[in-house]
Amino acid sequence: MLDVGRHPNIELMAYSELIKLDGKVGDFIATIRKKARFVEADKCTGCGACTEVCPTSVSDLYNEGHAERKAVYSWFAQGIPSTHVLDPDHCRVLTGKRCGICQKKCQANAINFEQTDTLVDLNVGAIVVATGYDIFDPGKMPEYRYTELDNVITAMEFERFLSASGPTAGHIDRPSDRRVKQEIAELSKQLKKSKAALERFEKAHAQDSCDFYKDFAANTLLPGDALVKDADKWAAKYQAHLEIQGPLQALEKRAGKFTTAKKLAFIQCVGSRDLRFYPFCSGYCCMHSIKEAIIAHEHDNDTHSVIFGMDIRAVGKGFEEYKIRGGNKSNIAYTRSRVAEITRGEDDNPVLIYEDTIEQKVIKRAFDLVVLATACAPVKNTRMVADILGIELDRFGFFKTDPAEPLDTTKEGIFVCGCSHSPMDIPESVAQASSAAARAVQAVMKNKKAS
Amino acid sequence: MTTDILVLGGGIAGIQSSLDLAEMGFKVHLVESLPSIGGKMAQLDKTFPTNDCAI
Repeated sequence: MLDVGRHPNIELMAYSELIKLDGKVGDFIATIRKKARFVEADKCTGCGACTEVCPTSVSDLYNEGHAERKAVYSWFAQGIPSTHVLDPDHCRVLTGKRCGICQKKCQANAINFEQTDTLVDLNVGAIVVATGYDIFDPGKMPEYRYTELDNVITAMEFERFLSASGPTAGHIDRPSDRRVKQEIAELSKQLKKSKAALERFEKAHAQDSCDFYKDFAANTLLPGDALVKDADKWAAKYQAHLEIQGPLQALEKRAGKFTTAKKLAFIQCVGSRDLRFYPFCSGYCCMHSIKEAIIAHEHDNDTHSVIFGMDIRAVGKGFEEYKIRGGNKSNIAYTRSRVAEITRGEDDNPVLIYEDTIEQKVIKRAFDLVVLATACAPVKNTRMVADILGIELDRFGFFKTDPAEPLDTTKEGIFVCGCSHSPMDIPESVAQASSAAARAVQAVMKNKKAS
Repeated sequence: MTTDILVLGGGIAGIQSSLDLAEMGFKVHLVESLPSIGGKMAQLDKTFPTNDCAI
């Protein structure tokens, strides 16, 4: 990534999109919209001082919504370019409120609330389309209750949990446990506030709130006592205090038993090889489930994983050996089954209902955490991109190619590679990307010679 | 007539294509819709089958 930012022959236009294309091979005119960052790229040093002071927190999509970022942010810590971005939907100034603290803090004077989108016309000879894929939304499969159960997550969410730079710093804390801890933090804050209020009363009347409340409840307060004017307020505060303390103690007791997730289930073909959604095999999911199970075991040797799939497709150089190694050394069991349903069990444990096809029995089994191997879906706005480029899509929504010329789209001079071509893993994407680069060179050189 | 090349998408495929083209001496314009390049691969912790770091 760093090389791309540094290479003299590469002009990097991040936070930009293609909006129009005219011309033909050898002489395309592409119109690019550079979206306003509200941060001047030539001034921003990427120091992050603006992010530190920004008061607005926003769900962080880079961490799949399991962490928060600020309204002025960098997409991820080592991102290239390192120029920060202001989120126009959440920034207080850009949504018409008063703020501007980032502008005051920025020593480089890079924050510019007046910046607007700019259009750039590029004259190019060929185009390589590498627009990637979207992760299938498992919420479309009601039987897996992805939207209802905290502890059913996608493989990408799990990947962020495994990452040392992720929301849990590499510990596999269950989302339900993290939610409880968040509630504890919120209640503790409220408790601290109410304690401060009670202390004011206690100081004023030199009496413990508990003793006062006993007298108050028994109605034994003396009518002439200086306490009487504060009595109702004090009692109400004390009642509210108890109402926070009770649930907080219950939650803390629960949280005391929390451990990281040890029993993991991986469900394959979520959205792929499913006639309701995508009939194709997404290709890489069997391997990434094995990889995630191996890494989880590396983090904690007590971890046991079960991978549920119709078959494990370890097709690639070194992949079969990797699968066997996972089974032998990383506590991974491969169970041939298509999981029928996930229900809620005790302690927020998801319970899988499936048929063990070897035992020929329907089994119910609880796990700590379930990871869904979601399908490789075409990007949502692929149709729009295809219309701008004037190329066709195949029946699934990937860019259409001919088996005899697998990287050529339906328009001369436009080539496709990676997951916008069809689902594929990283080594295959890299190989195809080099091929597409070669095809693009052939196209521009052929035209140059002809002219 | 120009030999400049436009690459749409700054994930691992777009990055690899751009670097190859740039190394061959062609001028590349790499367009990415997100604020930083890297795509899905930048979100990954490690990659199979070598368990190497993704970025």
